[in-house]
Amino acid sequence: MSVLVRSERFGDVECDDAATVVFPDGLLGFKEEREFVVMPADPEGIYSWLQSTRTPSLAFLTTSPTCFFADYAVEIDDAEVAEIEILDESEAMVLAIVTIAEDRATANLLGPIVVNTRTRRARQVVLADSTWSTKELLGEF
Amino acid sequence: MLVLSRRTNESIIVNGNITITVLEIRGDHIRIGIDAPREISVHREEIHAELARANKAATGSRAADVARLPRPGV
Repeated sequence: MSVLVRSERFGDVECDDAATVVFPDGLLGFKEEREFVVMPADPEGIYSWLQSTRTPSLAFLTTSPTCFFADYAVEIDDAEVAEIEILDESEAMVLAIVTIAEDRATANLLGPIVVNTRTRRARQVVLADSTWSTKELLGEF
Repeated sequence: MLVLSRRTNESIIVNGNITITVLEIRGDHIRIGIDAPREISVHREEIHAELARANKAATGSRAADVARLPRPGV
């Protein structure tokens, strides 16, 4: 099965159902945005887009944090894991939201997105006790 | 909003399983203890606000930006 997603950036996109992720609680600051599709952003598979299925103008660029930060690890509370039904860490995919400023790109490693690849449920988790910030440098332009 | 007055070492019980205790009051600084089941997530409000701000700041990426993004190890 596929779904038609309207995107301001990419036009109308046919997406496989398997590309859909559901955030039961939305994203922080975007509580109403509960459904997104994951779309590859580059041929190397380093970046992907999270496109809202509800708001054509809303898309986040994301990356896999361990591509850039080998020592990055996400320790999640039971509360957060239960919400997205993760039974085993092998089911979890971690994404960091990328912010592009004029002269640099940064990744939000304080509030990563954890996707359960089995159930396609996802949650933006808060790493309250970590030293990572919302603006870890990926590179300068 | 429900407003309750509490003194040091007095508590509020929420939902029968979450206990919030005023541990210490020093001027405008109050230490609060929260005893909740592990599946209840508890965070400072500021961290939620910071993440909401960060998310809002990240909505402007354009498709054309991807080409100039850094690659790992480069």
